[in-house]
Parts: sequence; C-alpha cells; structure tokens
Amino acid sequence: MTPPCANCDQKTQILILDDEPIVCKRLRPAFQKAGYEVETFIDSASAMARIEEKRFDIVITDLKMKGTDGMHFLSRIKEIAPETGVIVITGFATSETAKESFRKGAFDFVAKPFKLSDIIDTVRRLVENRHR
Amino acid sequence: MDVIHGLKGLLSFWSPQKPTLPFSVLFKKFRSILERNNHILELMADMGDKLGGEYVFDRQYVLDISEKVGDLAFKLISDLCVMTQNENVELFIAFERIQHEVQEELAGRRAFPMTRPAVPLDELNGDLNEEVGNKFANLGDIRNTLELPTMDGFVMTTRAFFDFMEANGLLSHIENSLSAVDVKDETAFEAMCDDVRRRILHGTIPKHVLSGMNTMMDNLSRSRQGEPLCFAVRSSAWGEDSEFSFAGQYESVLNVCRKSVPEAYRQVIAGAYGPEAWRYRLHRGYRESETAMAVGCQLMVDAEVSGAMYTYAPLPMEQEAMVISAAWGLGPAVVGGLAESDTFILDRLPPHGVLSTELGHKTSKMVMDRDGGTAWIDVPPDRQESPCLSAEYIQRLAQAAIMIERYYRRPQDVEWAFDTKGNLYILQSRPLNVRPNQPERHMLYIDHETLSAQVLFSGQGTVVQGGVASGKVYIAHGDDDLKDFPYGAILVARYTSPKYSRIMRKARGIITDVGSATGHMATLAREYRVPAVVDTGVATKVLKTGDEVTLDAIQNVVYEGTVKELSRFEITQEEVFEESYEYRLLRRVLKKVNPLNLVDPHSEYFKAARCRTFHDITRFVHEKAVQKLIELSENYQKYHDKTPKRLKSAIPLGLVVIDIDKGTSALPDARSVTVEQIESTPMKAILEGLTESGMWETDPVAVDLGSLMSSFTRTFSSSLARPDEVGRNLAVISNHYMNLHLRLGYHFNILDAYIGDVLNDNYIYFRFLGGVSNLQRRSRRARFIAEVMESYDFRVEVHGDLIVGRLKKMSKQWMIARMKVLGGLIGYTRQLDVSMISDEQIDFHLAEFNRRIQTLKEVSNDAPMCELRPKDADSHSGR
Repeated sequence: MTPPCANCDQKTQILILDDEPIVCKRLRPAFQKAGYEVETFIDSASAMARIEEKRFDIVITDLKMKGTDGMHFLSRIKEIAPETGVIVITGFATSETAKESFRKGAFDFVAKPFKLSDIIDTVRRLVENRHR
Repeated sequence: MDVIHGLKGLLSFWSPQKPTLPFSVLFKKFRSILERNNHILELMADMGDKLGGEYVFDRQYVLDISEKVGDLAFKLISDLCVMTQNENVELFIAFERIQHEVQEELAGRRAFPMTRPAVPLDELNGDLNEEVGNKFANLGDIRNTLELPTMDGFVMTTRAFFDFMEANGLLSHIENSLSAVDVKDETAFEAMCDDVRRRILHGTIPKHVLSGMNTMMDNLSRSRQGEPLCFAVRSSAWGEDSEFSFAGQYESVLNVCRKSVPEAYRQVIAGAYGPEAWRYRLHRGYRESETAMAVGCQLMVDAEVSGAMYTYAPLPMEQEAMVISAAWGLGPAVVGGLAESDTFILDRLPPHGVLSTELGHKTSKMVMDRDGGTAWIDVPPDRQESPCLSAEYIQRLAQAAIMIERYYRRPQDVEWAFDTKGNLYILQSRPLNVRPNQPERHMLYIDHETLSAQVLFSGQGTVVQGGVASGKVYIAHGDDDLKDFPYGAILVARYTSPKYSRIMRKARGIITDVGSATGHMATLAREYRVPAVVDTGVATKVLKTGDEVTLDAIQNVVYEGTVKELSRFEITQEEVFEESYEYRLLRRVLKKVNPLNLVDPHSEYFKAARCRTFHDITRFVHEKAVQKLIELSENYQKYHDKTPKRLKSAIPLGLVVIDIDKGTSALPDARSVTVEQIESTPMKAILEGLTESGMWETDPVAVDLGSLMSSFTRTFSSSLARPDEVGRNLAVISNHYMNLHLRLGYHFNILDAYIGDVLNDNYIYFRFLGGVSNLQRRSRRARFIAEVMESYDFRVEVHGDLIVGRLKKMSKQWMIARMKVLGGLIGYTRQLDVSMISDEQIDFHLAEFNRRIQTLKEVSNDAPMCELRPKDADSHSGR
C-alpha cells in the first residue's frame, strides 16, 4: 500500500467506524461511487489499530459504541494525525455532545438518520477546506 | 358490546350526567387529538421516506420511532377518554396487542407467521422467504407486486416440510447419521444420502399437510372449471435462488397429474439430500438446521417456446447486452442444455434492439406427455432452422426481465415460456452472478475525473425511491392523457399525481417540480421500485422532452446523457439496500403501523376491537372525537358560555359558529352572525371560496338541505345519524383559527386550519369523506380530489374513500389562496358522484375545476410562497 501524499493525485482516503453494520454497508458504496477510497470498521479496536498504521484524509465515526467510544477515538486520531478531518455521526445528538465533538476538533457533527447526499456534501466541504 | 355496557354501568362515575369539564378544556383535548393524529401520520410518513433509500438509518432509528408512535397512540386514546368520559377498554386492549406485535418484531422474535402447510401463490411476496423458500417468495413479488404473468398454483410451506420430517422421525435421524458419518468418505456419505432419500420417499405425509394440499388443488380445479390439472412441482429451499443459487442442484418434476402430486412432493424433498446438493450446503457452511424445503406446485404452461434470459449477457459489461436462449417446447431443453437452442443478443437500453441472432438446429423438442411426465418429439422440418421467437415476443420478454431486474437491483436469470396462444409466463427469476466474467465485479470507486457527464441539477427535492435510471425525458402536462408515454422514458412533470400510476410500469424514472413523498404516486413508485425524486422545483425548467438523462436517485443527481458507469455500479454493488436487515425490519414494523383497515365508519366493522394497526387506532379515535365534538355543541349550555351563532349566508350551509376568541365582530350573546361579521382569516377564505368560485350556484341539482339531510338519516349508520345531530354543521373559530365540520350532501368535510402572520405556525388539515356512491365512482372522486389537492401543494393520502390533505408553513397569502381553492372544491364535489361514470370524467372535471378556480387562486407576484423552503421541512415532526 502506497503512503498517501498531498501532491500526487491519490484518491481521498476515508475511514468509517460505526458499530451498526448497516451504516458501513450504505456509506461504503456511496463514497466509492462519489470517487473516494473507503475502509469501514464495525468495531473500534480494529479501527484504532488501523489508524496507527495508515493515515486517512477523513474519518467518519459514530459516537456511542461498544468498546472504545467515538469521543476517545476522535481524540486519538487528532493526537496521531491532527490534519485528519473528522466527521461525527450519531443517533443521540445533543448540544453537549456536539459541543464536545467540536472542542475535540471534529469538522462537523451529523445526526442520524441523515441523507446520503448530505454526508457526501459534508465530506466535499471538508476536502475543499483542507485544500485551502 | 354487552361487556362495554356492563362496564359503563359499573363505572357509573363516568356517567355524563355528572358535572363535567368546561367546553374549553374538552375542546383543548379535541385539538390535542388532532395534533397527535397529525403527528402520528407524519411519523408514519417519515418511516416511509426512510424506505426510499436516500437516508442512512440504523436499528436505533427503527426502535426510537416505533416507541414514539406507540407513545403518541397511547396518549391519543387517553385524550379520547377524557373527551368522551369513557374508559375505552377495547381500544386499550387493541393498542396493547399492536404494541406487543411491534415489540416482538423489534426484539427479532419473528413469530413463524405462516403456520399453514399450503399457501396459494396469490398471497406470496418476498418477505415470506422463510415460509415458502426464496424461489417462490420471489415469484410472489413477480406475480403480486410487479403483476407480471405467472401460472396459478400454491406452495407447500417449510412448516409442512418440518411437520413431514418430524412425523417420520427424519430430523433426528439425519442429525444422528451426519454426526456418525465421515463426510470425506465418499462411499459412506453417499450411502447415508441414499438412506435418507429412501426414508423420505417412503415417508407418510401428515394428514393436515395432505389436506392442505388437497384444498389448494380443489380450489384450482374449481377456478379451472374442472379441467384436468397438470403441475410442475418444484423445489423452493431456504437459500435457494439467493446469494447461492443452488442452480440445478434440486429437483423439479414436470407435468404431474393431480393424483401423483404427493409422490412428486416427496421426490422434491428427497432431492435436498442428494449427494451434490448436500455437499454444496456443507461446503457453503450451511447448518443442518438451516435446511428446509418448501415445494411449489404450479400449473404447467403448455409451452410453444421457452428458455432463459440473462439481463447481463456473459460478455464484457461495457457492451450493455442481454441474452435470450430459446427453444421449441418445454424449458429443460434450454435450461438443462439438453438440445440446441436459438440465441438472441439484445441491447439493454430501450427499445432493446436485437444486436445479433444465432439460430440453432432444433430437431427435437420436449413436450408434455399425455400420461404425465415429458417426452421428446421431432420438430417439423420447416421449423427446425427458423427463429423460435418473433421480434414482438423478444420485446415483451425484454421489458418483463428489465422490470424484474430493476425491482431487485441485480442482474437476473429469468426462466420463461410462451404458450400456444402467445401468452408470456415468467417461471422463475434468480439473481445472476456476473462475477465469473467480471473479475472486478464491483468497481472500487467511480473515477469522477473520467466521468465526463455534466450535472444538470443535484440535491433538489426529496428522493421517493432510490435507484439509477437512464432514458429519454418525457414532459407530462396537466392535461396529458399519457397515451403516448414511451416505454423506457423518464417522466418529468410539474406535480406528482395519482394519474401517473398508469405509466408506472413503463417509466424508467420519475422527476417532479412539486409534490410530496407520501402521496399515492410515491407509494406506487416504491412498490415497483421506480427511481423517483419529487419537489425538485426545477425539473420542468431544466429538462425537455427527448433529452437523454441519467437520474441517480440515491445521491439525488440528474446528469446529462446516459452514464453507464452509474447504472453498472448500482447493479453490482455488494448489498442491495432493500435486502438489508434494517430495511426489512422497518418494513415489517410499518406493516403493524401503517395499513388502514378501518376505512368505512359506516361499516359494522368500524369498532375498537377491529383496530389492527396504529393507523386504525388513530382513525378510530379521530372519528369518535369528531362525533363527540358535534354532540358537545348540541348540548352547549352544559359546557360553555359562548353563545353559538347561526351563520346567515346566501348558501344554505346550516352552519353554527362558536367563537372562542375574536373570530367574529358580532356581539357575544348574538344568536346569529353574518358573513361580513366573520373575522377569522381561514373561515373568511373558505366562505369566499365557496361563494366566489361560483361552484355552488352552477350546480345543476337544486339544493334542498332538508331532503338531503333526511337522506342521511337513512343512509348513515346509527353511530353518526341521530336525527338531532344531522343538519347541524359546526365551526369553532378564533381570529386565526378554524375548526370546521361540514356535512354537505353525502360528503363530510373536516377542516382544521391556522392562518396567521407567522409562517411557521400556518397549516391546513383537510379531510374529506364521501359515501353512498358505488365503489368505482367513489374511487374516481377520490382520485379527482387528490389530484386537485396535490396540484396545490398538499401532501395527500388516499385510503379508500377517505382523503387527507396537509399543507403547512406557507405564507399567509398562499394559505388564503389555497383555502379558497378548498372552498371551491367542497362546492364542486358536492354532487360529483353522479357524474363520475367513467375514468375520462376525472380529467374532464380536473380541467373544468381548474378553469373555474382560475381567478381565485391568483396570488400577487410579490407575495412569497414561503420565506424559506427548507429541504427537510417535511421531516420535522410536529406541525
């Protein structure tokens, strides 16, 4: 696997973590169709291990999961690779969790259920932001 | 009912003789019932939206929303208890029963719903794969949802299988044999297979299974006027024709006469334990407990020509071709590769032109033998070299196969036959695994740099049904009769309309400017899985008839031209959304929530104990609450100090007005009020609509309210037709609010509306209930009303004779204009039933109504429709 580089025309790499398999199953093809390369995980331990070995441009993570929760995962990504853009998706959206996610460096906070087009737009905005 | 009377007697403290709550409190309860009622219907619509494929949702969503609906339904009943001062025990029992069923679904404890040993094909659909196996569950979709032609028949369920196996001690025998045998020892394994099959072939079919089989055959015999029945008896195992095709592994027995069906049944079950099939299961990791064999028994097609069709030919996918193999006579000739056949390669894109033909040398064909079974006979020399399918047959076959493919969003392997009269029958369809010829079956991503397609518009409106569709645009206008709608086109229209159901099967996709995702058209688009996006605002402006476009109704983008990459991506992706657990769970829960069984309040079945879904409960409570409100106004002195005022108007409406807050300028204790004294915004608008549209005056039937009302007392059920109630129409109003119950002729209208300056508070809820006409006329009337309302931006639901329309969050001027249209509509429909003698009448009346209403609906150009048209305004719960 080639390491990502900012200047070559490498596809944007996305990691998706959600312990509800349906979310991964739906997001993976949607992002692939939109031209991204995607890896999905339904347990936080494997996702945690993966971010230690590979850099991703974008991470989309659920908050409330078995094992390591999304907030912890978010903090760890920001430690390893602060430039990674993180989008938090959750079914338990409160203003507190939203605020905390932003404080920990999340780019956006999306409440479930959401439209596929909305999350793809969010990722596009994030990509544009990073290139700026 | 005696129980209820008894209860009422016991609970005498509920007696209405007791001093009771003030009118304002009871009216508040009534308003709360209306609000909860709307809220429940909105949540139901929200759940329906999620099935469209545009949203990502998880199990938690299904849990949460089910809880919300249940909670609201419970509170709704509680409100009714206060309002009617009645315990409503039966309603609570009905509620608990539904709630329990929903909980069981959510907990994943699916009760084995089909305990019958045999089920007719007419009752099957894809959800019943556990009961009838995948093959016949699919055939159920094809027959009952897609309405493609299939032969009549029935299925012996997996329940029958288990009962048969159990009765003969076979389940434990198999388990013991399997644990004792060394699977790698070919000889021992095959000996075990032989032993099991022999036991099955000599097994006794339990009485109830046999009698289920006989009942099915008796019914078929009756519908065929006693002509001798010949069956194709075919396997339909768990897992067969799904991810693993098991193609050719299981048995079919053709041309079985009635008396031999039990024998053929055993033979097909025994087929599950042949060494190849059994090994295949073991190899694929199937457990023994996952083996169940349902058996389909279908009448034989006396086939002139039959064969198979792949919707993706085994060629490079880019060639976008499909292939038909066909031969004279019965199917096994082609499917089993037993004889030479013709091969036709067709274009996947409409009109599916033939790209190449290769004719086989067809010397013999398989036919039904007179004594049962099959036989080979010679093909007459002049037909041996000639093509066995005409261009017309090829066309019909291609359209049917593409329809099935679109439904399952997977390439299909379709088996079919044409009988001697030229009727096409679909015999079965299974997903076609395109992997062998497509090593990278699933593209990792679509390379957008190479994707030259121009985006025409994206992110506009609401996705009703996901999917990808390419085709030529066809713009339909309001008065278009759609006779010229070409097969394979994409329908583009200003409004959603129930009339588009006519071309639903021919259309590749649907895009509208305005419209709701909950209307009748949307329901049908989901049913047939036609990709559809509504409320785009721009479609008819951007697109024109003949444009080639691609609609991606997953990401909600419309591209210029045919984007083959998208269609291919769609059809090869790893999992089809409609096959996912969450989709199926939501659908199953919705079945306990959504269907409306209590359609007719005049029917004897309209009672609490008959409520089978939350929608039924909602409907029942609403009906009872309205009835109570009218009763309250009758006996107003007991409840409130507002003097009811009789409305003096040119039109005899028989209307009594209760002004709760600044609704009129009449004196508080005046016993009558003039139209000019009405201050209530919605009331004023509706009266203007009724009078100024001229709809009332032009009515040819003289209005004698007394005689109309007396016809009510004859025709309406006793529940609503106490003579003293009928003839009093009621409006409760304030300056911005109106709650109106208006019974005119045979029609009962309910309008609840708030129209003020704050746009977000504004709403109109309109409910129309007709009666007394014959069913066809009533349904035409419903279609007419629904079409008018949808064209004025209402979200419309039609349930038999009941039409509910909702509109909200539009500016005051727009709300008033729509209220006037409703006034006109109420006037216009008053005597409509008599003239609804044909479907053409619907279009005639639409045109006529629109012509007459023209002057009333105009809103000055600078009046904004709404300040914001938030994309997801509809998904907000609450009003």
